[in-house]
Amino acid sequence: MRMGIYFLAEQISVNATPFFPNHTWFTNSLLVTVIVAALLLIWARSATAKMELVPSGRQNVFETIVEALYTTFEGIVGRHMIAKTFPLIATLFVFILAANWFGLVPGVGTIGFGPPAHGPLALEEVQRPLLRPSNADLNMTLGMALFFMIWWVIWTISEVGVVGFLKENFAPKGGMKGAMWFVLLPLFLFTGIIEIISIIFRPVSLSLRLFGNIYAGETLLHTMSELGSGWPIPLNWITSVLFPLPFYFLELLVGILQAFVFALLCAVYIRLSTTHAEGEGEGAHGH
Amino acid sequence: MNPAENIARTFGIYWPNLIAQVILFVLVYLILRRYAFKPIVDMFEERRRRIEEGQLNAEKIKQQLALAQQRYEEILAKASAEAQRLMEEVRASSERLADQKRQEAIAEAERINQKAQESIQLERERVMAEVKHELGRLVVEATEKVTGKVLTPSDQQRLNEETARQLATA
Repeated sequence: MRMGIYFLAEQISVNATPFFPNHTWFTNSLLVTVIVAALLLIWARSATAKMELVPSGRQNVFETIVEALYTTFEGIVGRHMIAKTFPLIATLFVFILAANWFGLVPGVGTIGFGPPAHGPLALEEVQRPLLRPSNADLNMTLGMALFFMIWWVIWTISEVGVVGFLKENFAPKGGMKGAMWFVLLPLFLFTGIIEIISIIFRPVSLSLRLFGNIYAGETLLHTMSELGSGWPIPLNWITSVLFPLPFYFLELLVGILQAFVFALLCAVYIRLSTTHAEGEGEGAHGH
Repeated sequence: MNPAENIARTFGIYWPNLIAQVILFVLVYLILRRYAFKPIVDMFEERRRRIEEGQLNAEKIKQQLALAQQRYEEILAKASAEAQRLMEEVRASSERLADQKRQEAIAEAERINQKAQESIQLERERVMAEVKHELGRLVVEATEKVTGKVLTPSDQQRLNEETARQLATA
């Protein structure tokens, strides 16, 4: 086995590949996370190192992006929650977007270790890719979703309290009183239990949606690149670049869309649980 | 292996991997929050505060301007009314003065006229007296030359009176 470039990719594994047998946590997706995080931090720090009231250059670009996100999410979570929640929502969006797009950089998933093939650095197949898109690893997406849900619980309890939260989910709504309240109580208790189950499954749905899209995208690109694998060299090399090319544009779109969907759903969850205190019936329960 | 564990293994979920990814993400979150988003959000809030403050100030200035405009118009109206009143007063005063001066002039003219009339009358009477006297003397001299005698004072008196009477009727 040697390190090289795999020109004709195959089905990628669901599992991230560890680099060391004794340190299975250090995987190729974690390496990409480290790289993406480092790039993000360098970019953000360089943009905000010398902040000025009238922005210019990198600060201007960074501020434009952040301001667009701030305005968008402020409209969802409300002005009273945006200051608290914005850093996490924005981090989720920026990090997921950066990780998704970094996964499209040529070499991610196709440079690694495997049995050698003809040509310099060529492999028969990449058995252990050096780099794997972070969000094509469920550990990453589930980790982000769980981290968000921890904060969601903290923000919800701090805003409406435990009693308010339980009342919002289990008590009859619509200002009912008297006998009607008791009649409808079992129904609302039942819907409350369903609501709690749906809340518990939020991290699962959030993480699986992102993982599924990115993993599927990665698989799609690999499949496209191996369509001409039976053809002679260099035709199969050319087709391995040309065939997936249109899908790269699709994946660029999917990358930003999934980042936005993840952040947007997080914002909606915050909105749903923190605005009920202002008045009943505000915000629908939907997922 | 329980079903949950089985599902986790199928999707490649392992606690060490999950924790490692979460730690990395938390680090990214904390650093971005501290060094990227917080300064930017603070800047937004500062800008927003300034804009709101500016809008408030603009509104205040607008109100003050409207108040000043209102006061200016009031003062202008008051000044205009005062000027109008003064003009009326001046006009009335000047008319009164002109009338007074005219009356004075008329009175002065009448006085001068009367004085002139009196002077003319006196002159006329003086001239008439002189004429009478001269005529009387001439009549006496002519009568003395015609008659060749010296007239007595009573004759002279009578002739003078007769001449004066005839002159008066002429």
